[in-house]
Amino acid sequence: MVVAMYAKQNEGVHERVESKVLVSAKGLTKTYRRGTEEVRALDGVSFDLQQGEFTAIVGQSGAGKTTLLHLLGCMDTPTSGEIIIGGHSTKGLSDRALTQLRREQVGFVFQHFGLLPTLTVMENLLLPTLFSKREAKARANELLEQVGLTQRRNHHPNQLSGGEMQRVAIARALINRPQILLADEPTGNLDSVNGEAILQLFHQLHREGLTIVVVTHNPILADATQRQLVLRDGQLVP
Amino acid sequence: MLSLALSNLTRRRLRTALTLLGVAISVGVLACLLAFGKGYEAGLGRELNGMGIQMMLVPLGCPYDAAARVLKGKTLEVSLPANSLNIARQEGKVEVAAPLLMATLPRPAEGRTDLWVGIDESVRPLKPWWKMTTGSRWFPDANSVILGAEAAATELRQVGDTFFSPETGRKFTVCGVLERSGTSDDSQFFVPLATAQEMFHQPNRITAVAIRLKDPTQITEVSTRLQQVPGAQVVTMAEMMGTFLNLVGSVRTLVSAIAIVALCISGLSVFNTMLSAVLERTRELGVLRAVGASRSQVFCLLSVEAILLTTLGSTLGVVLALATGRFVEMGVRLFVPMAPADTLLNLSREVIQQCFMVGVVVGLGAGLYPAWQASRLQPVEAIRID
Repeated sequence: MVVAMYAKQNEGVHERVESKVLVSAKGLTKTYRRGTEEVRALDGVSFDLQQGEFTAIVGQSGAGKTTLLHLLGCMDTPTSGEIIIGGHSTKGLSDRALTQLRREQVGFVFQHFGLLPTLTVMENLLLPTLFSKREAKARANELLEQVGLTQRRNHHPNQLSGGEMQRVAIARALINRPQILLADEPTGNLDSVNGEAILQLFHQLHREGLTIVVVTHNPILADATQRQLVLRDGQLVP
Repeated sequence: MLSLALSNLTRRRLRTALTLLGVAISVGVLACLLAFGKGYEAGLGRELNGMGIQMMLVPLGCPYDAAARVLKGKTLEVSLPANSLNIARQEGKVEVAAPLLMATLPRPAEGRTDLWVGIDESVRPLKPWWKMTTGSRWFPDANSVILGAEAAATELRQVGDTFFSPETGRKFTVCGVLERSGTSDDSQFFVPLATAQEMFHQPNRITAVAIRLKDPTQITEVSTRLQQVPGAQVVTMAEMMGTFLNLVGSVRTLVSAIAIVALCISGLSVFNTMLSAVLERTRELGVLRAVGASRSQVFCLLSVEAILLTTLGSTLGVVLALATGRFVEMGVRLFVPMAPADTLLNLSREVIQQCFMVGVVVGLGAGLYPAWQASRLQPVEAIRID
């Protein structure tokens, strides 16, 4: 287990805490074909994510931010390189093992919320537990309270505002108590007020010790994180 | 999983409703087909057994056609000499040999044709369903007539009424009216055999002899001996039933083909619905994979949707068959030979189970490919789709 020291900035107070590496990316490369052209979305990206770290991945469109997030969330596999989560390499894992990893270790928040329109807020929240076969009603109630949507539990997504939908999506991502929360443009479809509410929610989760990685174009959100990984043309800018 | 599948089906209500209707119609057709087949066979068996006739002596020609005509109250072009009856009665193993003379009487003024049947008392044990609503039990004189229930209603006659038959120049007194039995007897006019022979100028002739044996196991032996009667031939009821069932079997094969085509179409409809659902919900399926659904769970979800669709469709189909079966039966009766008086629609538990099984298998078959395709979606590819 890799142990590192890093500076944590929280509400202007600097402190030194001992932490451990939760995720380690080593030489990640991802290429895919677009017609006859080979596109290199990521090119030798390496970095470590400490446990409890709040990180933003930033860069221009097409820089490879979302591709990197998908690789970190085990939703895709790198062309070369490897990802180590909690000390275990994901290289060569079967689809079944990757599914289990996603289910148990990772929470994913989508820009378009990814809520199922036919399900209520509560049902959407409990969706991951349907596949993990866990009883999580109490946890769901707790999360609904945390995101301030207890009164909306029986509403359908089309009865919610964008900010509310994103809060449900965040709560859903946390239902299985993941080690890491990955969010793809979580404020991309929100106005500034709702964006601010989501930012506050991330801060709260961070304070509770959750490791969070967000892909964002939003400078306010990016500046609020501890660390920024800047991508340009598929490579990390030092 | 079930409630998730159910909620997905309610998403496109019209499409789901049309698919359900397609499945319901094909399963309904199948249910009617199976129910009619069983009902017909059982009803025919009951009716033939109820008559207690093991064989009939009919004029030479097509024996099955002759026997069917006699049983269903139609006349024959040719007749048997009266001594065929004596030969049959002299056969020691015969318990009952009843003569029948059947003739049609056109009534141009009323626009219909009446069927008159000459009988003697020996026929009574062969018609156990005969019950007189009113009147004496048998013909008091040569000009007495027993009317079937429908014949009495058409003629507006009651027991004791007399009427003149201008076509035959005879006057008859109604001595009895039969209770409705649902057989061809309902529309017939029964007179003493001698009267019928005189009326229709068939002295010493009869149309057929209905025979009941003392011991039904000796049917082959008796049949062989009676085949020797000049101008006559024997047809056993077992042969009759086999012929009818073969005939109905041919019709059933044809209708089965239609039902199979209908099932294939409904299967394709389910296939189309499920495939469209996969294409429309690709991103959602990607979300499911992202939040931890395995390939097999996604496959299971889509399969459950397909099975739900066909199970509901099959239920509707059975309800449809129950609701419309009687009307269909009315139509079927016009084309089926020797349709039994009992209801033909025998929607037993076994038939319903078979229909359900077929429905579910079709649903599962039709849903396999879309479910497999959904399960093969990579979460990242599915999420990328706009």
